[in-house]
Parts: sequence; structure tokens; C-alpha cells
Amino acid sequence: MPYHGDIPNLIAQTASRGPASVRAAARLMSIVTDHPERVATMLAGATRWPQPRLVLGITGAPGSGKSTLTDQMAASFRARHPDRLLGILAVDPSSPFTGGAVLGDRVRMMRHATDPKVFIRSLASRGHLGGLALGARGVVRIMGLLGCDVVIIETVGVGQSEVEIAQNADLTVVVLAPGQGDSVQMLKAGLMEAGDVFVVNKADRPDAATLQANLLNMLKMGWMARVDLYHEELTCHGPQMLVAGQSADGGKALSSIPDLPLDAAAPPPVFLTSATNAQGIEPLVDHVESRAARDADAWRARRDTQITREVRDAVLESARKRIAHLIGRNGTSQATLAPVLEGRISVDELTDQLIRRALSDIDTTHRIQPT
Amino acid sequence: MLDPTPKARVLIGKPGLDGHDRGAKYVAQVLRDAGFEVIYTGIRRSPEQIVEAAIQEDVAGIGLSLLSGAHNVLFKRVIDLLKERGASDIVVFGGGTIPPKDIPTLTAMGVKAVFTPGTPAKRIVETLDTLLAQPA
Ligand SMILES: Nc1nc2c(ncn2[C@@H]2O[C@H](COP(=O)(O)OP(=O)(O)OP(=O)(O)O)[C@@H](O)[C@H]2O)c(=O)[nH]1
Ligand SMILES: [Mg+2]
Repeated sequence: MPYHGDIPNLIAQTASRGPASVRAAARLMSIVTDHPERVATMLAGATRWPQPRLVLGITGAPGSGKSTLTDQMAASFRARHPDRLLGILAVDPSSPFTGGAVLGDRVRMMRHATDPKVFIRSLASRGHLGGLALGARGVVRIMGLLGCDVVIIETVGVGQSEVEIAQNADLTVVVLAPGQGDSVQMLKAGLMEAGDVFVVNKADRPDAATLQANLLNMLKMGWMARVDLYHEELTCHGPQMLVAGQSADGGKALSSIPDLPLDAAAPPPVFLTSATNAQGIEPLVDHVESRAARDADAWRARRDTQITREVRDAVLESARKRIAHLIGRNGTSQATLAPVLEGRISVDELTDQLIRRALSDIDTTHRIQPT
Repeated sequence: MLDPTPKARVLIGKPGLDGHDRGAKYVAQVLRDAGFEVIYTGIRRSPEQIVEAAIQEDVAGIGLSLLSGAHNVLFKRVIDLLKERGASDIVVFGGGTIPPKDIPTLTAMGVKAVFTPGTPAKRIVETLDTLLAQPA
């Protein structure tokens, strides 16, 4: 794309919030998603960029109604804060075979398309290792710069980087729906730990109550197991035995354990919604808003520490790209890899060679020009 | 390892009042299989919705699927809106039951390609590959 050199200009246009800001923001987003390794550079000196008040992750089983729920929650946020901007980032998988993708989440959100206060961006997962989360982070930052008060990120809860994106949000909502045998399997595969808040959507379906009951049970068990583990940690490493409710400080010490999640005091809540009928949305948004009001400081601190990881990821992504460039695409990489395939040198030796070549490569056309 | 680099981003929209989107979905599938990232917006979209979405998604092209016969008006509206928004660099193409006699009018308007029913998938892909080629 021809607008690399324009980055400072695009940033200024985005921040101006004038008529050109939407297009400028959209182009900045292309830059950070096409070149995730650039996010760190783009954000250097951008610590004072305005940030969204709330970044909400929505993930869960495919087809559980994430987009429809996002649309409804967006409508609710807009009604609550008529003057404030809202951003939506919808991530869908790319085909691992062709690299192409059909990004269809927007279909359920079109009523917001002409709302000048809603910015929706679709992102394909592109089979990146790590780059996806980084690009998504960049998009959220740009939405912040544009003035978005709330950003909702929708990702399907399959695949590590997709779940990671939702977890990078301030608050993660996991959406399940009845009639999907894989919902419970997905919980077992790690989605249970990912959720701060759970939603059983399609409550208009008869088996929603059963799913809700099962989910509550699983969440309670998971929570009890976690609390027990924390206690054991304390018993092993702490100065004294601590039992919940019996400690001298009335349990406060428990919340001073560094890794104790903010909401370990109870299992995560479960909301019942019927997104297509706009039912159960308000209690859910009420809850999210109350968490945002309560935890804003902690979230800000966590975002700050995430920057270190962003830079780390950006360095790794940049290194990966430079080596990948030297190996060549599938099909053209045969020659480079032949010495290993023929057993003449080891993978380590080839890697050393490639790193050396990457360093001495004067023609670094693959390297993005600094701004 | 596999490191697919996607081709251009394309928005496929279906303005107009009729509710059939088989053609639009088919083209979306074809383009996806050819490595494009397709933003699919569904049926009965207004030109305003389509143009706004295209700008936010920073697509290189907009494909309009039309069956209703109002193509001259709808294409014109999309192209005018893009101009208004300073986004005339976005390539507009179309498909559907468009009578051959209307194609010159559309071309004059700035529509870069028109695919009528029966256009081979391969030709659609080749045409868009050329139209949306990203400068290195
Ligand atoms: N009965 C019922 N159907 C719903 C409800 N919410 C969503 N749906 C339907 O479920 C289907 C999937 O909805 P989406 O919102 O696209 O689901 P999604 O989780 O975003 O899907 P992917 O992004 O493809 O994983 C659509 O046909 C919706 O109309 C609901 O509350 N009740
Ligand atoms: Mg969806």
C-alpha cells in the first residue's frame, strides 16, 4: 500500500477527529494488520494516545450468536452514551489453504454502518503466529486515538491466538448456546478459564436452561479448584496457614496474592440472553459497566504492562518475517532447505546461516522503512 | 511453513430490495478461494451503508451484486458517495443480471468491470487480480 510514508500524517488526521479521520484511521489499521511488527514503532511515543475506557472481548463457540450479541450490546452502549464513539473489531479465520477469508460478522451489525459514531473493522486471522494479536492490539489503539469510548472485540473461541485476543481485553465475555454439542468441549479446552463473564445465548431455545445449569456447575467447580490451589500455595510458601474466612485479616491476605484474579471472590456470573430478540442485554451491559467503573484503575495498569509484551511480540514478529523472507514461500523454499533435506547440515546450522544472511542483507526491501 | 499472504481486501454488498444473495455469496466464495479477504455485508444494503463500510474496512474494491434492475441508479450513487468521501481510489465492480446494453453506461460512470451470469470464476479472479493489484 502506498501510504507507509504517511504514518505521522495519518495519525494526525485520525486524532483530529475531522471528516478525514475515519479514512485515516482505516488506513492506519491496514498498516498495523499488514505489518504487525510495526505496531511497536507506531506506538513509540504514543503513550499519551487516548485509550478506550473499556475494551470488551467477546468469544465463544462458532455460531453461538457472538455477532448478534455484539450488535445488541453496541446498541445498548450507544443508547447509554449517545455522544461517545464505539469501535467493533470482528476477527474471523482465514483459510489455511488459500489465505483468503470471508468476513461475515458485519452482516449482523449493518444497522450501525451509517451511525457516524460506530466504527466497525473486520480482521482475518491470516494464520499468523503472534502477529494477529499484535495487529488486533494496534487496531484497538487506533480506535482509542479516534476517540472510541468502548471497543468490542469479537473472536471465535477456537485457536490460541483468537482466544488470546479476547483475553487481552479488559473483560472477556464467553458466549455459548444450546444445541451445540461442542460448547462444553470448548469449555474443557480452555475457554472456561478465559471468561470473566459467561453468556448462555439463544435463551429462547428449550435447552438453554440445562446448558445454564451445567455451565454454572462447571464454573463453580473450576472456581473451587482454583481457590484450593491458592490456599495450598499459601500453606506452602506463606508465613502462616490461611484458611478462607479464618485469617486474622478476614481474608484480605487472599487478595494480596499477586496472581489472584480480580474476581476470585466468586465464580464468574452467567447471563441468559436471546440476542435475536434483544432480551437479557441490559442486565449484561449493566454488569459490564459496573465492572468498568470498579476496575478501571486495575485495567489501566494491566494495559501498561501489556506494552512490554507488545514490543517483545513485535521484535519476534519482525525477526520471523526477515527469516521467512529468506527461506521463501512454500514452493520456492526447496532450494534453501535442500541442504537440510539432504542431511548435509542440521536445522540449527541452516538457521545460523539464515540469521547471518539476514544481518548482512543490504537489500532489505522486506524491511519496512522507518517513519 | 505456510505463511499465506492475502491478496486485496474486497467488500461484497448487495443493494436493492430483492432478497437473493446466491450470486453475491458465490462470488465471495470464489474470491476467498483465490486468496482475497472478502468482507461480506449481506442483502438489502443501502449505498450509504456499503460505502461507509468500505471506508472503515479500507478495502481496495467494492463488488455490487444486482438483480433488481435499478443498477444504473445504485452504481451511480455508490460512485458519487465514494467521490464525496474522497475515496474514489476504491475500485467498483459489479455482477448480476445486467443487460449487455447497459454495460457501456456503467463503464462510463466508472464501474471497472461487470460480470454477467455465466462469467467463468477464473475470469472474475483474473480481472480482479489485475484491477486490485497492490503496488509493492
Ligand atoms: N434462536 C436464536 N438464534 C440466534 C440468537 N442469536 C443469534 N442467533 C442466530 O444464530 C446464528 C449465528 O449468529 P451469529 O451472531 O452470526 O453467531 P456468531 O457466534 O457470531 O457466529 P460466527 O462468527 O460465525 O462464529 C444466526 O442465524 C443468528 O440469527 C438467539 O438469541 N436465538
Ligand atoms: Mg460472528
